[in-house]
Amino acid sequence: MTAVSSLEAARELLREFPVVDGHNDLPWALREQVRYDLDARDIAAPQGAHLHTDLPRLREGGVGAQYWSVYVRSDLPDAVPATLEQIDCVRQLLARYPGDLAPARTAADMEAARAEGRIASLMGAEGGHSIANSLATLRALYALGVRYMTLTHNDNIAWADSATDEPNVGGLSAFGREVVREMNREGMLVDLSHVAATTMRDALDATAAPVIFSHSSARAICDHPRNIPDDVLERLPANGGVAMVTFVPKFVLQAAVDWTAEADDNMRAHGFHHLDTTAEAMKVHRAFEERNPRPVATVATVADHLDHMREVTGIDHLGIGGDYDGTAFTPEGLNDVSGYPNLIAELLDRGWSRSDLAKLTWQNAVRVLGAAEDVARDLQTTRAPSNATIESLDG
Amino acid sequence: MADLQNDLHTPGEVGELDDLSLDPPIPAEPYALVADPEADLLDRAHALLAAHPVADGYSGLPWALRHLPWYDLELGEIAVDTDVPRMRQGHVGALFCSLHLPEGLAADRAVAATLEQLDLVRTVIVNHPEGLRLARTAGQVVDARNCGRTAVLLGPATAAALDDSVSLLRVLHALGLRILTLAGTSWASEAGLTRFGEEVVREMNRLGVLADLSGASERTTERVLAASKAPVLCTRSGARGLRPHPANLPDDVLAGLGKERGLCLVPLTAEQTGPTVRDVADHLDHVRTVAGPGCVGLSGTYDAGCAHPQELTDASCYPHLVAELLRRGWSETDLALLTWGNVQRVLRTADVTARAAQERREPSTARIAELDG
Repeated sequence: MTAVSSLEAARELLREFPVVDGHNDLPWALREQVRYDLDARDIAAPQGAHLHTDLPRLREGGVGAQYWSVYVRSDLPDAVPATLEQIDCVRQLLARYPGDLAPARTAADMEAARAEGRIASLMGAEGGHSIANSLATLRALYALGVRYMTLTHNDNIAWADSATDEPNVGGLSAFGREVVREMNREGMLVDLSHVAATTMRDALDATAAPVIFSHSSARAICDHPRNIPDDVLERLPANGGVAMVTFVPKFVLQAAVDWTAEADDNMRAHGFHHLDTTAEAMKVHRAFEERNPRPVATVATVADHLDHMREVTGIDHLGIGGDYDGTAFTPEGLNDVSGYPNLIAELLDRGWSRSDLAKLTWQNAVRVLGAAEDVARDLQTTRAPSNATIESLDG
Repeated sequence: MADLQNDLHTPGEVGELDDLSLDPPIPAEPYALVADPEADLLDRAHALLAAHPVADGYSGLPWALRHLPWYDLELGEIAVDTDVPRMRQGHVGALFCSLHLPEGLAADRAVAATLEQLDLVRTVIVNHPEGLRLARTAGQVVDARNCGRTAVLLGPATAAALDDSVSLLRVLHALGLRILTLAGTSWASEAGLTRFGEEVVREMNRLGVLADLSGASERTTERVLAASKAPVLCTRSGARGLRPHPANLPDDVLAGLGKERGLCLVPLTAEQTGPTVRDVADHLDHVRTVAGPGCVGLSGTYDAGCAHPQELTDASCYPHLVAELLRRGWSETDLALLTWGNVQRVLRTADVTARAAQERREPSTARIAELDG
């Protein structure tokens, strides 16, 4: 099969089984770039100069459902109001582009949007700091349409350890397990991207519903804490969950991991914080980049992860979570949200069948939300809303 | 041009017809009495309330329930003043559930604490489907009533719950919030409304969130009365002419409220209105005279930590008050407006204003730092 015809075949497949993407940071980009002035970034028109995401490219990329991340920084106070502002941003987008974006809260809504040819729009909160240790706030987020919560972001929180912080409670605390139970009762998916492996295992022990990884790849292919270890992937078939592979080069390509570590060290050696983006800091960073060319990930890098994850966890537990507009760099061929057909074409060339790919792009992610709804319906008949506090459970 | 059109016309109130100069004019339907004028006053009060139930403008129930380890509102709950059997006895058809926070709560906790209150009310409603029903619009209030349920409306909430962001106003409205008290923030303070404050009022009009001015400063009250396109209300205000309480309204404000077709909801508390039923009735008489019979309503203020007049100790006691007003010669039409009609009108007008404003205005993106610098 030639490259052109497999790309054609990929596009044809995506017309029937479009991509459910687990994580897109467009709301955060709109907040940071234009403070939610949606006229200044009209996504009905191409926004390639500023964003990875706009409606024409989502269409070109064959996206049929998107979890919009309502991420807020974990190192600032006022996470709850900021999260609500992010939710308002998504609601404004839905009100503005009703012909393209369909509000979706259930698996049935996702299927209805696919039938209408609109992009089902769901929300995911990125980090337990967004609920400020309050289960009532968790329920308010659910009532507003948030359908998954990543338990942590880059920093530990009081009840869960992050993958990119020092171990603290050693996974989930008692209150952390209560949060998972309450998410099960509401029907909100437990997202284990960003969390420490210990937290992943604790959450899998505690949950009654399938979990997701909204944007994480395989640690066996690229040893980065943001990726999923094989022993956790092996538990997904029993749990029924879905691991959505991410494209972020510094997580998926070993050379890029090493390069990023060196670049960060270089920044610190010059007396800057490694995430500093001021003019002087960027000068130091660019000088480093001139001496050491940045390694480039490709479509094949991501496909390698998927091949491995498929070996370990099986075809029924895979999905896609690009993290567009949440990362500075993207792989070659997956430069923005129009790139998904390239990945599907690569997998077709590697011998993935049509039915395998339909599961990867659409069916698994829809199934997992429906399963969470079923579990919630069951639990609500026997369990009242929890009002446990972190003080009462974690002392 | 767009600016000019923004204010071309204020949408009219519901129920007021344009003068079409019909000849002969359609006569108003005569009001048919629902109570037998010969019967005992209390019997007449019950008959009247059965047809025109009470829309109670303020209940502190959420905060009171928060500290009870267990409660059952359906069976009757002596730890609070409001439960389903007593609301049935008192003919309470609609209840505004306050999301106010106790004083002294840190500002950065206000948002989460308001969400917690809201969550509690929603949980209580889900757990009492035979007695309570969540209502967002005037139509839903009537639906709930026709199904024999007490309609629960969310609010008033404190202005601090917005954390100085119009986005949060929209999100809270999406969760069901209907009333916001405009006091105690930098943009609605003793100094009056700032530019951001006016933007909040415009966004409230666009969404259909009512402005509550009980406890607001004089200058804020004046400015909101002038700026709001929807009627405003005071959820807990008596007449200052009768009792000098800071939340009670002086006559000029009452007259202004009447002119703008707002609503003064008179609380049944010993502190604000007096220790007896007759004191409360005096306030109602006074407000009716100054503001007009279309601008007065009731606010039980139960479970809000206030002492109540004798005979009006809980939500079942409204018939005693109505009997007292009947004794004073209030007409059935005025009483129907007092208990139910006026609140209905204000809710419905706010709904219509919101629909009209949504045609003209985009959601506000104003930020306090830009407007109030």
